[in-house]
Formats: sequence, C-alpha cells, structure tokens
Amino acid sequence: MKTNKIAFILNAHLPYVRHIEYPRFLEEDWLFEAINESYLPLLRMLSKLKDEKLSFKFTISMSPPLCCMLTDEALQQRFIQYMKRHVELGEKEVERTVSDDPRLHEMAVWYLTNYRRNLDDFENYNHNILTGFKNLEDMGVIEIITTCATHAYLPLYQEYPTAVDAQIEMGIQSHLCNFGHISRGFWLPECGYYPSLEEHLKSKGITWFQTASQSMLLSPDKVEYGTFQPVRCPNGVVAFPRDYEATSLIWSNTNGYPCDARYREFYRDIGYDLPLSYIGPYVEEDGNRVFTGYKYWSITGEGQEKKLYDRAAAQKVVESHAANFLFNISSKAEHIVHATGKMPLSTLGFDCELFGHWWFEGIDWLEQVIRQSCKEDCTVQLTTPTQFLETKPQLQVARPAYSSWGIGGYSSTWLDGSNAWIYRHIHQALARMEELAIRFPQQISLKRRFLNQAAREVLLAMGSDWPFIMYNKTSGAYAQRRLEEHLENFNVVYSNMCKNAVNTEWLMKAEKKDVIFKDIDYNIFNPSNT
Amino acid sequence: MILIDIDSLSDTELRYIAQQEGFEDWETIDREDLIEQLQEKYDDSDIDFSSVIASAMNQKRFCTSLTDFTSKSNSSDFLPGVENLPPSYNETSIHLLLRDPQWAYAYWSLSPCTKAQFFEGKVQTGEVFLRVNMVDQHDNSRSFFDICVGLDDEQWNINLPQMGCKYDVTLCFKDGQGVMGSLAQSNVVETFHSYWENHYDEIAMDRALFYVHFSSVVTKEGEVANNPVLKNIAKILSEGVLE
Repeated sequence: MKTNKIAFILNAHLPYVRHIEYPRFLEEDWLFEAINESYLPLLRMLSKLKDEKLSFKFTISMSPPLCCMLTDEALQQRFIQYMKRHVELGEKEVERTVSDDPRLHEMAVWYLTNYRRNLDDFENYNHNILTGFKNLEDMGVIEIITTCATHAYLPLYQEYPTAVDAQIEMGIQSHLCNFGHISRGFWLPECGYYPSLEEHLKSKGITWFQTASQSMLLSPDKVEYGTFQPVRCPNGVVAFPRDYEATSLIWSNTNGYPCDARYREFYRDIGYDLPLSYIGPYVEEDGNRVFTGYKYWSITGEGQEKKLYDRAAAQKVVESHAANFLFNISSKAEHIVHATGKMPLSTLGFDCELFGHWWFEGIDWLEQVIRQSCKEDCTVQLTTPTQFLETKPQLQVARPAYSSWGIGGYSSTWLDGSNAWIYRHIHQALARMEELAIRFPQQISLKRRFLNQAAREVLLAMGSDWPFIMYNKTSGAYAQRRLEEHLENFNVVYSNMCKNAVNTEWLMKAEKKDVIFKDIDYNIFNPSNT
Repeated sequence: MILIDIDSLSDTELRYIAQQEGFEDWETIDREDLIEQLQEKYDDSDIDFSSVIASAMNQKRFCTSLTDFTSKSNSSDFLPGVENLPPSYNETSIHLLLRDPQWAYAYWSLSPCTKAQFFEGKVQTGEVFLRVNMVDQHDNSRSFFDICVGLDDEQWNINLPQMGCKYDVTLCFKDGQGVMGSLAQSNVVETFHSYWENHYDEIAMDRALFYVHFSSVVTKEGEVANNPVLKNIAKILSEGVLE
C-alpha cells in the first residue's frame, strides 16, 4: 500500500549562450553536453517506462532560455556538428582501445554507441527535443512548469516589483508559446523566496511554487508539519518546501550517492590525459584542453590514482542506491505518520543536469527509483505538487521565510565580494527600463523594436547564472563580459531614446545576436500594465 | 597569426571551412580531396593557407571564456555605439539589499553636483556616514547606529544586530562644524523572527514535534543544514533544553 508520496521536481535550465558569430564556442558546449548526457537519455528512459505502462509522474521546470536554445535552428545544427565530432573521436577511441583493458574498450564502445543513438534520437525529434518533453506531458508522465524569464534570483530584485513581474510574465508567456498551456506551478530560481513574492505569482495565475527546506522552520508562524506538507500562503498560493534530508542523500558532495567510489569520475577525461598529437583536433589547440566526454575512470578515492570504471558493477550500485533511497523515504514516513497522523509528502528539487551530466549514473538511478517505487510492496508513490493539490488537501495557512537553496540558505551566493558590484548597474538599468516604458508607451515600428531589444537585454542581465559563475570562479570572465554586454547594450537604447533617436545599425545587429523572446513587449516594464 | 597544421583539423572543421568557401559538395567529399581542393583554392588566390584557415576559424576554434573575453574590443566592435559601463551613475542615491538576516549590503553614489555642493573645499573636514535605522516590529521601537565611511567609498556590508526589525539606511554628511544632513534614503529591508526561535521550549518538550521539524533539515549523518538561524536553534536545543 502506498502510504507516502514524493514529488521530484527537476529544474532544467542553462544560461542563454549563443555565439554563432564564431565557428565554435566553448560555452555552447554546456548546452550540447546537457542535451547529450541528460535530456536525451532522460527522454529515452521516461518513454521506455511509459511503454512498460509503469504508473508514475514527476515535474520538470523548463526555463525559457533553455527552451529558446533547444528550438534555435542554428544551435541545433551546431549540436549535430558537436555530435559528429564526438562520434568521430569515438571511432578513434574504439580503435585505440581495442587491445587495451576490456573495460576500457567496452566503455569506448558504449560512448560511441550512445553518441550515435542520441544523434539518431535527435534526428527523430526533428532536432527539437522539446517535442519529446511535450509528448511525455501529453501522455501524463511529466508535468512541465515554467520559471523566471532568465532564471533571475528574485530576492535581490525585491525593490523592483515591475521587473519581478516582467520575469514571471515572460516565463509564463514563453511556456505558453512552447507547451501550449499556462503553467500551474512555478520554479523559483535557486529556491529564492522573499515574503510577498507569492503576490506576484498569484497575479499571474500561478497556484504553487517550491521553497527551500528552512523556509518552514524559520517561518514567523508556527508551521505544524515542517517540510512534510506544503503550506498555503495567506493569499492562497501553495508553497512546497524541499525535504533537505532526502535531497542530501543525493545532493551532497561528501556523502551523497554520486560520491560512491564505484561511480564514474567526472573530472578525468581523455581531453586532459592523452597527448595533443592524438586528441588535438578535439581540444583547444593552443594548449587549453577541454572535456571530450570520454571518461574511463571511476571515482575510486580522493587521490590522483583512479581505477578503471566498471559499468556493470556501477549498475549494481545504482540498484542498491535506489533501494536505499526508497527505504529511507519509507522509514522516515513511518515516523512522520506516527508523529503527526498525516501521510507525508516529500518534495525534492534538483537541477536536471545533475542526472546524466554531473552524475553519470543519475538517469539510471532515477529509472531504478521509478521502477522500484512501482512495485506493489513499495510504500512510496511518485507524484507532483499539482496532483497533490487536486486531492484538495486541508493545508495550514502560513508564511514561508525568506530563503534560498544557496550556501547559508539566503542570498550570499549571489551577493558576495565577487559579484555584489553588478547590482548597482542592473538596478540602474531596471529603473531606466521602467522609465523608458513609462515615457514611451505603445510605440510602433523601429522605436518599438528598439525598446523591445532593451527589455531583452535587461532581462538577460538579470539571470542568476552570471553572479553564480562569478561566485564559483569557473568561467568568471565570460559571465562578467556577458553581463556587461547586456547592460552596455541596454545603455545604447537608453541614451538614444533620451535623444529621441534610434541606433538602427546597432538594433539590426543586436536583434540577430540574441534571438530570445521573439514576441516580447517592452510595455511589461510599465508598472501601470502589471 | 595562428599557424594551423591542416592535418590537425577534424573532418568536421574542414567541412565547415569548405562550406564557408562555398564548396557545393562539402558534405560528401572525402578528407584528402577536401584538403587538396582547399589548398588549390588558396594557391590560386595567392593567399597563405595557414592564415586563411586561421582566419576562417576566426582564431576561436576552441575558444575559452578567458581567451575570448579578455579583450573588450571584440564585442564592442560587433555592436556599434556601445560604450563601457560607467563606474557609477550621476545621481545621489543609496540602496540596501538583504543578504541574510544578519547582514545587508548597501551601495550608493554621490552625484558630482552633490559632491560639489557639500564637499568641495571641505573634504578635509567634512565626512560621510551611514545611519542605519531600525524599527523593532514587535513594539515599533526605533533606534539607529552610525557607520563612518570615506568620501570615496561606495559600498558597505552592514551587520544587522537584531532579527525581527525593519532596516533602512540614510546616507548622511557632517561638515567641519558638525552640522549634519541627509543626502539620500535607502529602501527598507525586513527581517523576521522565526516562531521556533522564540518557542524552542515547545520543540524541546515534544519529541514528535522535534522530529517533524528537524528531521527534514538535517542530513542522514546528523549535520544541520548550513543556515545560521537553524544552527542557532539547534545549538540552543542541544546545549540547554535537550540535555
């Protein structure tokens, strides 16, 4: 008998990166790796389980920048080129490893087969894998929800309610355009919540959102069921708190399942290991090596010495980790039922790219969780917040606390010494965008396009990715440059409009550069329209 | 100039160059023929092959963020009329951002006009300071404290002494004679008390309640989620009440 429920929410998001002005661009590989390692395998796995008529459902948030990139013909073509390069390398790898350790050769063959299969799947979707997700939604396997227009971390824009509305509105419009329906749920980027944010969501027709786990324990109200039941905000929108303990079974870089020594090591890649005379064509030629995706080693331990990856052994670990996860969920549920008399709901939120990309075996683990949860003797049932709300549960009315899933549980990841400087400029741009929308309402023709481009630039500047990358010091120079570019571009519009002029040469080029939010209407930045 | 060894280019890259050069059969032609035809083309036009390839690949064959964006000129050249961001804006204003219940971040700017009006000729004697205003939400009591900052400072991390308060910051000046004035006023940020922070005895006395609330913010290994307020509640419980 199913006595407790879990709601997986996967957040599929990548920053908008499109540089077709270059033959190849390294940061575009973020998208290509995610398509190849996470999205296509996830689609395949879910389709297979659906064909087997297993009963399950979970939620995927698909961000507007990701959807835009997935439907961009230029990027689709570049993904095909990316895959062909990797197939070419795979063919060389199969040949190179044929007389090597069988495990090495077996993995080379596996990678090559996988690249080919993914390329075939991509062709079968007519290059647009959103149709795959939409099909699964139509079949009732997943529910797709939306998020902010550019995944902005909203607590740091609290002073700019029109901009918060614009982020939410464009997220909803993009979702409607891509999936043909209004999103009922809303993924708060980085689980970033501040009191009263639900008012913005309600005004746009959103019925639920997810929050960080501590949003309940730190609430100013006496929350009765901790994170095991959602709460209804005073305005009626429902907040689903994340179960930190259940999440940390996976999302912990010290003790999570993905740390198991038998799993594949992410950071050991032939792009760094093999001589340039061999790997040169597939990595950067002037000495900067990059990941190729061909990785043959297991995590093993913390040292440099790694054991060869044994895929069969890893698959057994996947099964046991899935069983362990469900056991933990079930046993905790027993305690909760005993303590509260209520069947618990655990909400788990993850970045979708964790599965398959960062955690190589992650998709297999998800598959095992679904399979094992569908067995009759398993007490756990996979559900979605929307399904849960359809049962019309009695929910406590309470106010979640200001929170995020970042380090420390608040805003310090997106507001520290490395990135605090950006808000002076972004806030200025937001104030000026609002000023433009008020001063020049309902423009037509060139001016309208000019102002629409300004709205695109300012939205792109708000993405949580840029401060996060600066904080993480991974591709900080790129993030800084992107942010500056968007703000500098915005300033072109502002300074020209203040002179009642349009820089048409700039406009033509800017429109071609960032082709996101094709139907944007800058008037969303006019407070009288929100 | 980057000299390209043509043999190091992959088939895909060679085909890309061929496509750019307008070869009709760029998709089907084999590698050797492709190289030969490209060489012929460039020999005919008396252009150095390496530089053409390098140019075709735009020196960005495998560009990285660091190499690609260290020069600002590339992107600025691409879009006409773009100017670098100014370090600050010609206005006198102050903004406050809540980082967590214990810290806020303030940034401000002084317009040249304000600087001229209040500080020109008085820099040696005048000073700028931040007045942090607090309103306790429980009893509406008001208080403030001051933070001295330099005339060239433009940002500050402010320690918030108490939860359950509204805070705002006034950017103030004081001239050589001790006369004070306000230059700009920030927005208000708000911190809330957690119910359980003030009622930990309820959790401590009720094992079921304790389990419900803490089992979801603690890892399986017993580590409390990284949050100062949660850790404080856990500390109070473990030090005082639970023992």
